[in-house]
Amino acid sequence: MRRPCFRSLAGGAAGIAAGVIGGVLLTSVSTAGPTPVADGPALIDATHVPPVLTVRGEPIRLRYGLVCTPRAEGLPCDGSGTVYLRAGQSGPFHPFALQRGDASKDGRYYVDVPRDIAASPEGFSYYAVLRDDATGAAVSVPSGGADAPQVSLPMYEPIAVALGRHLFGAVRAPDERVAAGAWGSEPDEIGLAGSRELGFTGPSSFDVEPDGTVDMLDSVNGRVMRWGRGRREHVPISGALELADFAAEPDGSFDVLADDTLRHLRADGTEKWAQKLAERTWAKLAHGGSVLQQPSEQWMPVSDGGAPLTRPQQRRAGHAAQLGVLVERVGEAELRVAVLRGKAPLRSWRITSDTPLGEVQTAEPHGNGIVVVTRAYTDDRDEFVVLVLGADGLVQRFSVESGSWTETAPLARFRLARGGLYRLRTTEAGAFVDRFYLEVPQ
Amino acid sequence: MRAFVAMLAAGFALSGVTGAQAYHRFWANCNTDPPTFMTTMTRDAAQDYANAARYEGYQWGGGCWNYDEVDSYPDDPPQQPGTHGEGGDCSGLTFKTWRESTDTWRDGRYYWRALRNVHGPYDAAAFRDGNGAPNHVVAKATAGVMDAFASGTHIGMVFMRSLYGGDQIVEAKCEACGTNIFYRTYRGDSAYGGVGRWGWTG
Repeated sequence: MRRPCFRSLAGGAAGIAAGVIGGVLLTSVSTAGPTPVADGPALIDATHVPPVLTVRGEPIRLRYGLVCTPRAEGLPCDGSGTVYLRAGQSGPFHPFALQRGDASKDGRYYVDVPRDIAASPEGFSYYAVLRDDATGAAVSVPSGGADAPQVSLPMYEPIAVALGRHLFGAVRAPDERVAAGAWGSEPDEIGLAGSRELGFTGPSSFDVEPDGTVDMLDSVNGRVMRWGRGRREHVPISGALELADFAAEPDGSFDVLADDTLRHLRADGTEKWAQKLAERTWAKLAHGGSVLQQPSEQWMPVSDGGAPLTRPQQRRAGHAAQLGVLVERVGEAELRVAVLRGKAPLRSWRITSDTPLGEVQTAEPHGNGIVVVTRAYTDDRDEFVVLVLGADGLVQRFSVESGSWTETAPLARFRLARGGLYRLRTTEAGAFVDRFYLEVPQ
Repeated sequence: MRAFVAMLAAGFALSGVTGAQAYHRFWANCNTDPPTFMTTMTRDAAQDYANAARYEGYQWGGGCWNYDEVDSYPDDPPQQPGTHGEGGDCSGLTFKTWRESTDTWRDGRYYWRALRNVHGPYDAAAFRDGNGAPNHVVAKATAGVMDAFASGTHIGMVFMRSLYGGDQIVEAKCEACGTNIFYRTYRGDSAYGGVGRWGWTG
C-alpha cells in the first residue's frame, strides 16, 4: 500500500468538510420546506344507519352523528339539523327538527318518526340536513337528498328464522376446488406481501363468470388470474389494487374498486376509464359498476351503459336494494332481509340468533328464495353461516370456515354463481376458490 | 482532486448519519407541547379529531400531522420510524384520539394537538389486551362509536356501525393506504378483540 502524501490528506479533509457542510445545508433546505398548518375549508360529515326494514308497531328513532372541524377546546360540534319525512315514497316532505341528546354512542342527534308516518303501509322515505352552527357548513344524508331519499319499509308477516346458539366446529367441506395457486410471483402463483408484524395481503377479491371461469384479483402481482376451459391465464393490470374489490363483467371487461375510485378495465387489462365515488367510503362492488357507499348506506351506480357517471349523478341514483334484496343487521344478533317486488316487500325474513351476527357477506336471489351468508362470532371464534331461505323458512343451513391467512376486500369472500356458492380462502400454503352446492328453494 | 471527490461523497454520507437527517423530516414541523388536561371527552368530539387526521398519511411509530388533507411524505418504506413522515400509526392515532397520558397509570383526559409528536406507550397488542389505566376490553358485540377493535398487529376505531353489519373504521392502516375511514369486518373476525376507553362523558 502506497503511503498517502500531504496533498492527498489535505484534499480528503477538505472533501469531508465540504461534504458534511453541504449535506447539512441541503437537509436544512428540505426541512424548511412545506407543511405549515393549513386553514382549509370547514370539515363536515355525518353518520346514520337507516332502518330499512321495520316490524309493525316498533317505535322508530332516526339517529345521526355530526362530525366537524375539531374545536380548540376539544368539545363536540355545536350542531343542529332537520329531517325531511314523508309517508310512502312520493309527495312532499315535512320538516322535523333534530333533537340533541346527551350521549353520542349511537349518534347524538335524533328524531322520533311520528306514529302516523311510521305506520304507513307503504313505509316512509326521508333525508336529513345537518349543520355545524359554528362554521355554517352543512351536509345532507343521504347525499342525494330529496332526489334519492332513504327508504324504510314495513315487513308484513315476516318469516321467522331462529338460528339458536351457533355450534362452532361443525363446518362443511367444499364440494369442489375450482381454483388454486401457491404463493409466489411465477405465472401460476398468487402474490403474497406483508409480514407477521403488519399482517399479510394477497388476492383481495374474485369473481365467477357465466361460463364458470374463475377470476382472482392477484393484487400483489398486479394481474387477474383466470381459471377456465381447462387452462390458466393472467391479465396484467396496473394501479392501486391493495384490498380492492373486483367484478368480471359479461363482455369480458373488469371493474376494480380501490381507495375512492372505480376503474373500468378492458379485457386486456388496459384502463378504459376511472371515476371517483360520490361518497367517502365503500363496502362492496357489484356487477354493472354498482357500489354500496357510505355514509349514505346506499347502492350507487358509478356507470351507466358502460360510461362513467359523475358524482352528482351517482348521488341522485342512490337506492337501498341490490338485486331487489334489502338487508339490515339489527342490534347484536338479528338480521332482516326482504325481496322486493317493485317498491314493496314481496317476502321478508326475520332471522334471530343466540350468537352475535357479524357482517352480511352476500344476500342474493336464488330460485324462489334467497341465499344469505353472514358471520356468527364470539369474542374469540367465528365462522360463516350460509342460509338458503324460501317461502316456508329455512331450506338449507351450513357453516363454513372463516379463517384467512390474508386480508381481503371486506365483502368479497363469497360469490353466488351457476347455482353454487363460491368462496375465496387463503392459507399459509396459498389461495383457493372452493364451490359449495346449494339446494334450490321452490 | 481524486481524494477530494471521494471524501466529498463520504462527507455527504456522514451528514446524514442520524435518522432525523437521513429522511425528509416532517417531524421538524412537530412540537413537544404538553397536552391540555380536560374534564370532558365525548365520543363525537373524538370522531371530529380522528376524522380530521384523514388523508394526513401514515407513519410507523408516528403521531404528528397537520390538517392540510395531504400526506406530505407518502410511500415511505414501511416499519421504519426513522423516515419521520407525516401521520400516526394505528396505535398512535388511537392514543391521541382517546386523549391518553404517556404514563400508563393515569386515566385522565389529555388533549394532544395534531402537531404534537407523540405516539404513546401502547402498541396494538397492548390495546387489545386492555393494558393501561384508561383502557379496557369490551365485548365486540357491544362496541359502539369510538370503541375499537385490535389485533396483535393493528387497531382501528369504530366510526359508525353499518347497515350490512360491518363497521366504518377510522384507522391509520398502512403506508400505502394512509389514515382514512374504511369499511371493515373486524367485529366478527376472531383475530380482533374489542377494546374501549374509560371515561367518556357523552
